[in-house]
Amino acid sequence: MDIIPTGLTATQIFISLPFIAIMVHVILGACAYLIYIERKVCSYIQDRVGPNRVGFDFGLKWLSFLKGALGLGQPLADGIKFLLKEDYMPKSADRVLFTLAPATIVIPAMIGFLIIPWGGYIDIPDMSVPLLGDIGGRVVLAGANFNAGVIYLLAVASLGVYGVVLGGWASNNKYSFLGGLRASAQMVSYEIPLGLSLMCVLLICGTIMPMGIIEHQVQNGWLIFAHPLAAILFFVAILAEANRAPFDNAEAEQELVGGYHTEYSSMRFALFFLAEYMHMITSCAFFTLLFLGGFHLPAIPGLGIEDTSIVAGLLKLGVFFTKVVLLITFMIIIRWTVPRLRYDQVMFLGWQSMIPLGMVMLVMTSVMVFYEWTAWYELLAANVVLTALVFLVMPVLPKNKVNKRIPMYGSRFNPMPGERVETSAPGGLATEDRPVEGTVPAM
Amino acid sequence: MAIRDEDIVTIAPKPMNRLESVYLPEFFRGFGTTMRHFFSSFGQGKTSRTIQYPEERREHYKPEDGGMEPSNFRGIHRLNRDEDGRVKCVACMMCPTLCPANCIHIVAEESPWDDREKYPKKFEIDELRCIFCGMCEEACPVDAIELTTEYDVVGLSRQEMIFDKEKLLSIFDVTIDKKPM
Repeated sequence: MDIIPTGLTATQIFISLPFIAIMVHVILGACAYLIYIERKVCSYIQDRVGPNRVGFDFGLKWLSFLKGALGLGQPLADGIKFLLKEDYMPKSADRVLFTLAPATIVIPAMIGFLIIPWGGYIDIPDMSVPLLGDIGGRVVLAGANFNAGVIYLLAVASLGVYGVVLGGWASNNKYSFLGGLRASAQMVSYEIPLGLSLMCVLLICGTIMPMGIIEHQVQNGWLIFAHPLAAILFFVAILAEANRAPFDNAEAEQELVGGYHTEYSSMRFALFFLAEYMHMITSCAFFTLLFLGGFHLPAIPGLGIEDTSIVAGLLKLGVFFTKVVLLITFMIIIRWTVPRLRYDQVMFLGWQSMIPLGMVMLVMTSVMVFYEWTAWYELLAANVVLTALVFLVMPVLPKNKVNKRIPMYGSRFNPMPGERVETSAPGGLATEDRPVEGTVPAM
Repeated sequence: MAIRDEDIVTIAPKPMNRLESVYLPEFFRGFGTTMRHFFSSFGQGKTSRTIQYPEERREHYKPEDGGMEPSNFRGIHRLNRDEDGRVKCVACMMCPTLCPANCIHIVAEESPWDDREKYPKKFEIDELRCIFCGMCEEACPVDAIELTTEYDVVGLSRQEMIFDKEKLLSIFDVTIDKKPM
């Protein structure tokens, strides 16, 4: 593969600045419409219809042909509603942190897009532009192109936990605080399997540059077929990272008060809400980059690494974005399929299942890479062997029995000597067990 | 009441086998169920039971399709008139006595007509308190109070939702064609 200059070249800046300006708006619009897709998919799964009333007619007669429009105006209406609502701040909240928290969660989610190579390489003809001087040559159709690409994305993605903790802490509300703690513990735990499976990919590809990973997959096949275990581990980890179901313990709508954003209202709440969807886009783009070959589609000409015209670049961007949207739709369907895990199950899955498996996988991959057995069938065979090994070893391993039932003193699980007394009028219905020893904890 | 030992049924879930304890096969089965519902109700398909309310109403459907059965639907009340257009009620106080929600208030007075002793000077139903059980209709000896099939009633205040005699009689005038006495 030919090495192109990384970092801040004049040509890269010429592409990056307008690209970032456009992409930010595309992502924000995509976030709004992801909420629409989520509601539509959810209602179809539950045999409902979903939003179908708000069109773009704005109550005007001459626009009435845009009425309805499958409810496509719903995100706009939601946005206006959020902007116009009262922005309420609790009296005892920490004013600075309370204001800062939504920004701390949105900004890391947004700047992660910088290094995703949406369009691959494109060739810029030699020309001269003001301020930048002479430009021309091969650049990446992305926000930036630098050496530490994947590491940067990982670092930025884990910054999102600050917003969650700050939001919970600054509200000065114990339920928000508990929600924030749960979310942060979960996000920190699932960084580890995320990093472990990412490391497998980096070992196989031998590079941490996003374009290098895609080039490797174009030449050797997509990594989801070569290393499915890593892909599954990574996908579960990004579900937990983005606080998506079945790991949405932080804001379990049906069970908790509301999680870390209980005290938030108006646009601040909307920022938390949008950040979840931005996290989803970022992590799905990350997954596409690592396992689904980025913009590459097999057997379709014009989408290879060497097609570097601007039209090919935009086509590749479209392919990349389509893959991301399909992956997000898959995430949404998972949300309406899998019931939420209990919190101890989340921690059990993270620490006792995924981290050991990730470590074994990492060792296996390192050995494979050391002996240069990195063709896709060799890696796939190793995956099958590892899965069989897990099934063989799992029942032999010592089991820590979780969810122990601790009998309450005097209850039917821990009957104590005592008398049964009547508490109501004679002949009444209510009786009560009254242990004679008083309340001491059971042994 | 304390739980007696003989009332307790212990249900122990079967221990999971190795394949089940990975959850993935069961996950894909659940995924299949989800997708079946998704595609069968896509774009208000065959499993969707939604009625697009203001345009479509329950009256437009048969009862077996989730529509309304007008003969026993219990909607808003009306006070019937007799052949001479007078209020049919004789203020016997059966309905306020029976009403489980205490939402009917009648002030009776001596009747100006010869064929009955009393008539209601005031007749008020608090439609917000009413639970639409239909007991008043059952109790009425002269079939003066009836429940109609109207259900989309709007008021901007609580006071507005207390229907007086004139209002209830006017509901009769409106709904007499839909539901004859």
